[in-house]
Formats: sequence, C-alpha cells, structure tokens
Amino acid sequence: MNLLFIRSIEGRILMGITMFVGMMILVGWVAINEEARMQSFVRQHTGRSIERGAELYASLCSECHGEEGFGAGDRAPGLNNPHLFGFDPVGLQTTAITTANRALVRINKDIDTLLAELTDAQNPPSDTRQNEILAAIADLEAQIDEQNANIETAIAERVAILETLDTAVGNGLFPLWDTVVDIEQTGDNEVEVFFNSNGTRLAQVGWAGDLHGYVVTTLIHGRPGSANVYPNSTGMAAWSQTAGGPLRQDQIEDLAAYILNWDKGANWTTEDFIAVAQYGKPLADGSLPSEPPPPPAGDNVLGILARWEADAIVGSAVSGEMLYDQEFGCTDCHRDGASAPDTIGTFARVTSERLTLPQFAGYSFEQYIVESVTRPGDYVVDGYSSGLMPTNFGLRMTDQQLADIVAYLLTQ
Amino acid sequence: MSILPFPSFLDDVKEKGFKKAIFEGIDDSVERLTAGLNVQDLREAFRGETASRRPNPRLTPHADGFWLHMRPSYFNRDVTGMYPTFRLGWLSSYFVFFETITGILLMLWYTPSPEIAYGDMLTILSNVPLGQLMRDMHRLGAEFMVAVVAMHMMRTWITGSYKKPRQFTWFTGLLLLVITGFLSFSGYLLPWDQLSLWAVTIGASMAEATPVVGDQVNLLLRGAPELGANGLLRFYLLHVLALPALLFVFFGVHYYKVVIHGHSLPPQKENIGEDTAKRVPLDKRVYFIPDMLTYEMMWLGATTFIITVLCIWFYHAPLENHADPQVTPLGTTAPWYFLWIQGALKLGDKFFWGVAFPTIALGGLAMLPYLDVTPSRRYSHRRFMLTIACLLISLTTILSYMGLAKFAVQTSAETEIVHELTFEPAHSKVGVGRTIPFDQMIVGAYTTDQLHAPDEMSANDMIAAFNAEVMANGQFDQMIQELKDQHLGANQLPLRFRAIPAAEAPTLTRVMEEFEHHLAAAEAIELPNVWGALVITDNQGGLKRLDWIVSWDSVLIEGGKVQVDDSGAPILIYSDQVDAEGNPIPVRRIYSDHLFIHEASAYFD
Repeated sequence: MNLLFIRSIEGRILMGITMFVGMMILVGWVAINEEARMQSFVRQHTGRSIERGAELYASLCSECHGEEGFGAGDRAPGLNNPHLFGFDPVGLQTTAITTANRALVRINKDIDTLLAELTDAQNPPSDTRQNEILAAIADLEAQIDEQNANIETAIAERVAILETLDTAVGNGLFPLWDTVVDIEQTGDNEVEVFFNSNGTRLAQVGWAGDLHGYVVTTLIHGRPGSANVYPNSTGMAAWSQTAGGPLRQDQIEDLAAYILNWDKGANWTTEDFIAVAQYGKPLADGSLPSEPPPPPAGDNVLGILARWEADAIVGSAVSGEMLYDQEFGCTDCHRDGASAPDTIGTFARVTSERLTLPQFAGYSFEQYIVESVTRPGDYVVDGYSSGLMPTNFGLRMTDQQLADIVAYLLTQ
Repeated sequence: MSILPFPSFLDDVKEKGFKKAIFEGIDDSVERLTAGLNVQDLREAFRGETASRRPNPRLTPHADGFWLHMRPSYFNRDVTGMYPTFRLGWLSSYFVFFETITGILLMLWYTPSPEIAYGDMLTILSNVPLGQLMRDMHRLGAEFMVAVVAMHMMRTWITGSYKKPRQFTWFTGLLLLVITGFLSFSGYLLPWDQLSLWAVTIGASMAEATPVVGDQVNLLLRGAPELGANGLLRFYLLHVLALPALLFVFFGVHYYKVVIHGHSLPPQKENIGEDTAKRVPLDKRVYFIPDMLTYEMMWLGATTFIITVLCIWFYHAPLENHADPQVTPLGTTAPWYFLWIQGALKLGDKFFWGVAFPTIALGGLAMLPYLDVTPSRRYSHRRFMLTIACLLISLTTILSYMGLAKFAVQTSAETEIVHELTFEPAHSKVGVGRTIPFDQMIVGAYTTDQLHAPDEMSANDMIAAFNAEVMANGQFDQMIQELKDQHLGANQLPLRFRAIPAAEAPTLTRVMEEFEHHLAAAEAIELPNVWGALVITDNQGGLKRLDWIVSWDSVLIEGGKVQVDDSGAPILIYSDQVDAEGNPIPVRRIYSDHLFIHEASAYFD
C-alpha cells in the first residue's frame, strides 16, 4: 500500500508510467491472442449449443424421430441418415466409371489419329514408322481392355452395394419411392435410377439452399403434409415461436446444430443406410413401433374435465403425490407459503376462500385446480408474484397425471 | 508588416527568427491549453521544484480553467494519505468514468431486444477483438463500484464525517449509493441469460409488494406482466440513460459539497465541534499541481492495471444459457448486493421485509446526520454510533448469508445432490460432473455402491453382488424404465453395472466418490438404502450422454419434512408386496437427470 502513497514526485511519476506501460503491454498481449481465443470460444460455444440441442431433441423430437435419430418406424423419418447428408453410397464407383469412360474417349481419339496417319495416301509413312504406329495401336487397345475391366469391376461393386441397399429401401428408406421411381420403366435398376436423380434429400425435395437452412426451415415451419407420407404421423408441428410453436430462435439453432452433428462426412457407410428405421420398418425383435404416447392435457380446462368424464379417468392420490413431489417438483415452491401457497390446507383454502370469490362462481374444486395448474397466469393469489409458476404444465402432463395431482390435492 | 490584417506567425518569424518564434509559439499554446502554465512552469512542477514566478502560476488553472476549477487547488496533508479516506471517494469517481467508457464501448455491439441481446453477448465474446476483456472489465468494475461506494459510506459513518456542516453531502452520497445499486442491477438484465432473467425477476417482484400501486409499479418497470421485450428495453434505458443522468447530477452536487466544505480531517486533528477543513495552514498545504495530480495519475494507472490483471487471469463475467421464462434454475439468487433483501424476505411478510424494511433502513441512513447531532467526531465519544455501525455491518452480512440459496430453501435431497454434480456454469462455478475429461467418460453403467466395498472384497466382486441384488429385487428394471422414460435409446440401455475404471478414468472415479459422499450424507433420513448410478452412453460423434440416477426407499414426507419415528429413523412407505420372509417391501423411488457433454465444450479446462 505504501507504494501507492510514494512521497517523492519522481517516484510517483515513475510508478504511474510503469503502470500505464504495464497495462498497455498486457492489453497488447491480450489483443494478439484474441484471434485464437475467439476461435476457441466459437468451438466451445458450438459444443454447448450441440449439448442444448441434444437435450431438446431427447425431450421433444426423439419420440417421433427416434432416440438415436434413426426414425421411429411409421411416424417420422430418421435424421441420423446418410441420405439427408447427401452421402452417395456408390460415389467411389461412379467416379471410377466416369474416369474410365473419359480415358476410353482419349484412347479412341489417339487410335483414330494413328490410323489416319497410317492410311494417309498422299503422304504414306515409312516402313519403320508403320511398325511404330502398329505397335502403338496395339498398346492402346490393351489400355482399352484395361479400362473396360475397370468399368466392369466398378459396375459389379456398384450393383453389390445397391443390392445391400435394397433392404434399406424395403424398410422404407425413401418414403416417396413410388412417386420418384417408375418400376415398370426402370425394372431391376430402380435403386440406381433413384440414386442418379435423388442422391440427396435436398436434391429430392428440390431445395436450393444448404442443409442447415433446410433443417432450420423445417424446424420453424414443421411439415404439415407429413401425415400423407408417414401413416402414423400427425404431421410435424411448427416448432418456432415465429410460427406459433414453443421454441425460441436460439433453441432452433441449437437443435439444428445437434442434428447436423450427426454428419459423418466421408465416413458414412451403407450400414448407416440400413440402420435407418423409417416408414414402418419392424424393430430388430420383429415388433412394430409402439403406440404413440397419450397426448398432453393442454390448457383447455373445460375440455380436460369433459375428457375425464368421457374416458372415466379417475385420479390416484398416491401417484399424484409422487408426481407432485418428484416428477413436476411442485413442492419445491408450494411449501411454507413463502413463494407460493402452501400445499397443506389446499382443499380447505380453495373451498372456503377462493371458491367464494365472485370470479369463481360455479367452479368445482377440480376445475379450480386444473385451471391453476394449466393456466397459472389467469389468477394469482394476492400476495404472490405472477409469472413465477411455469405455464407449460398442461403440455407436460397427461390427463391421467393431472387427475392424479388433483386427487392428491383433494387430500391436502 | 504582414500581408494579413492581423499579426501572424510569419511576422513573429521575421521579427524574432524562426527558432525563437517556434519556441514562443509552443510556450504560448501550452499556456493556453493548461489555462495558465507554460512549459517552464510545467517543467518546474513535475521536477518538484517551487514555482519560479509570482503570482504562483499553479493556481491559475483552478481559477481560469474549466476542468480544474472543480478541484481544490490544495489539500490538507492530513487527508492525502491512506487514512482517513482510504481513497474510497476517489475510487468511486474513478469507477463512474471507468464504467462509462467501457459501457459505451459495449453499447456499440448491443441491441436491447430479447431476440438479439444474447446473440450480441456471443458476438462480443466470439467476434469482437478485446470484447471479452471489455465486458469483464465493465462487469468487474460494476461489482467493485457497488462495494467501493458502500465502503465509502461506512467510512464516512465511522469517521463521523456526516456531521455538520456535511449533512447534505451525506444525503447526496446516499442517493448515489442507491443509484449505483440500481445501475448495477439494471445492467444485470442486459445479457439476457438465465442468471440475468431470474435475478432480476426476483428483484423486480419486490416492487410488486408495494401497497396499493404495486401492480402499477411492476407494470411500469417490466413493461408487461412478465419480463420481455418491453422490460428489457426499459432496463436498458434506465441503465444507459436515466440512471447515469441522475448519477452525474448527484455526483456533481456531492462533489461540489465536498469541495465547498473541504475534506473532513481525521477526528482527532481538530477540536471538538470545530470544522477546520477549509482553513489549511500554509505548512500543511499539499498543492494539486503537482502533488495530487501526480498521485491521481499514478492511482489511475495502478487501478486500471490491477483491473486489467484481474480480468485477464482471475475474473470472467458470467454468461449462462439464454434466458428462458419457462425454466426456473435451482438456487436462483439476487445479485450479491441485494442478497440482504432476499434474506430479509425469508423472515416473513413480503411487503414488510421486501419494501418497508429496506425503505426504513435507507430512510434511517438518510436521516442519520439529523438524528445524531452530537458535536464530537472523536471515536471515544461516539461509542453508540460506532456500535450501531458494527451492528449494521453484521446485520447486512447475516441477512446476505440468509439470502443465499442454501439457507432455508429446501429442495428434495436427490434433486439437490444431482444438481450439485451437474449444474451448468454459473457464478464461475460448474458442476463437478461436467469436469470429467471427455476421454474419461468411458461408456458404461457405474454405481456408487461399489465404493463402500469392504476391504477384503474386490470391486468386481462387489459389482457382481450388486448386479445380482438389483436384478433380483427389480431395482435394475426400475432404472431401465426410468432411462427409457428419459428417452435413452433402446440400443443404449445398459445390461448391467460394471466396475469404475479407476486406472483409465481417475476424474470419473473422483466424481463417483463425491456422488457417494453426498448420498451417504442424506442416507440416514431422506434417502434410506440409497444407491446412485451414472450411465454414460455415446450419443453422437464427440457427444456423450450422462444419466445420473438415485434410487432409494420412499419415506413419508409431510409439509416438505421427512417424518421420523420415535427412534429418529425415517418412516418408510411400504408397498403391498412382501419379500421371501413375509416382511413388507418399501416402495422404491427413483430419480434421474441427464446431461450431454460435447468434446469441445471444455468444461474441464
């Protein structure tokens, strides 16, 4: 501390200058390292974005698209899918055939040139030259055989690969198969024909942008027509708040980052095609994909009560307590009455105090609780803050779970 | 003669020669810029010599110049050291300017909109050279400013400097303290991450407890029933416009009063009831030029240097996940300087403790100089006020401690334990479960039960016995069902537990030990016969999934408290099944939470 109260003026000037220079050296040192720091921040941030996307995917998407992204049978396509990422399973072979064909064109041209020289009547070649030309032609013909052999090998490989893909195609790898492949015209070569014109998902749907844009657009707007393709699908909902869904734009980007992280680039294999389970492919044990889970209760209070009546849904206080304490963590706030009304005494309080209020005329206890859970913002008890209770419980609970919780609160 | 209608530099050159004209021109300019000091005067001043010409030119800038007319031309030697001011007033002013400059720089990249704000933070961190440093400095400076201003107030109290004639100075200072608090608080919301949203939600909900107009105040502040686009814009405007404007107004008044009355001397340096601050004897005068000026320049350099060092190596402004009104993080607290209010709120009535109590406290402080009218500033004569000061400091500390999430807010033990292991980076801390290096997250299912193996039993034997036990009593199936419910892929469900690979994964082992340690602490009452498990699976290339599971016998809970029998053991809830010996089996409860870890996330750095 004495350093900061140096009594000599020279000392202060020296100290001050040292500090300023020191600070500027430090800032300069930070500045020259900024490029690397920013890059590593981007990497780290992308990693965390993928993590958040994984979380969203597991809770929102895995039900239909499969936990591991292979699709869930007849509900939605697999996203961990080489076709989505534009992997061409016969790409190497196609390239080999193209290369060989180009070589053949060049060799034939060379042969034509040599033949023209050999048969030139006005300027016939010497004997030595004739022998040279004939030898060269023989050499080129050998090359033709070599290239033809290459083509045959590539075609054989290609056929073999495409045959293994028949399984995947049979499993419904390409839901729009019938509309894009005219089997009568193409016969046995249907898979090949398909890959020639629909090699990637983007090409198939005629998407002009990149894959990220395609994924993000789909997440934002949903796929209202997918019910026509996937028999057990209800049609993918719009997920973005922009289009009336629940997710913010940054969450859409997180999800897209997660989905794009499935890309294996050059390391996709035909096995990956076969792993995709979409369009009603039976599971490994021969069973069909399970029934869809019961729909959430939603926040239409009277609708929920009517369904309880119609479907004879009766709540269980025991499982209601579990749900209340554990699954949905209601007790975290509803205790001691500090941040939210106490759980104990709910029944007495609701029946003797709340339901006597004019706005609740005609309400039953059940209706009051269902409304409180699914539409917490509609009425907040005096003395407590609005906006603290999450508004999405209706979307997280089934009718049965909600009935259980009401049954539990009836005992409190 | 000049060709121009007035004398020009060329005339000077003609008259005096080039060199002399240049030097005189420079001298003249310097004298104009410094409002009174020429080159020779400056040289003498900074060499520590006495001024060679009279009247003393070093006083002229204070009389003629704009900037220095605000500063006293000399100080009393007794107030220029560490004691009695501790330079806290100077530091407060320093932070006002420091925060203004760094704040303006940050404004260049900031848009107050919920859709964009968080992305702007990421841009500042990822695409603005020195952006991170600037943000760290602004944030750290804000924290320091609140602390320094509060300490400045306590120092004034302790040295009795609020007494006559400085009552009004004290009052404006108190206003500045409140404005500083609100400035810092309003800045809290701007990054629009979880930390901001929830800390500010808690803070702003106090406004709602105001009687009669609570709802209106709340609506005015937040712009909507909940914090959203309007609320963010309002907080932004408060932060960059309204509050700084108020701050500068009262800063001006406050400093004007300080200069008018002089810096109060150490209490023992003057007679009781006298105020001699303005009558500085000649031998005690420390002139602003050059002494205080060089002191202040040195402090300026030193303070900025220290902050730079802190922000490079020791402090980074927190940035949590994007704000999400649907997800309340566990253990949300107000900013530390408002923790005392949060602590007070736990004492009972929201209106009394959240609104009335802080108002009374601040009102009491504002009236302090008018309540304590005793003339003496000597410490020995002010035992009562000094006791009150100590009590105030203690009370604030205790209330702040009570404001912490760990005080009197109970969450069920299993939630608390798993959260402790897995929480996302917040307040510069991160759950230890995230710090396992990526290559140590070896796929498999591990259990904490392995860790209380008796010495003679090998880990593998212990695991084999445990596997047999949980397979037989259905606890393993319950875990598998839980994992399925949590959307773990069917191909990834574990078939059995395996021993923790201690040699390849020391950090994983340590985390499992910590997990076990937490569970053991809760086993007696809340989690009887508990075991924990960690299931690690591959999710994508470079992405692992970690499922944390707690399984225990359910206990009777009423009103958030575990019920115990006469012997102090928890009362278990039994199912209607019985085991082989005819004893009832307790209902088995299971809790799980999962997180994903990407290779590049680098939580372990």
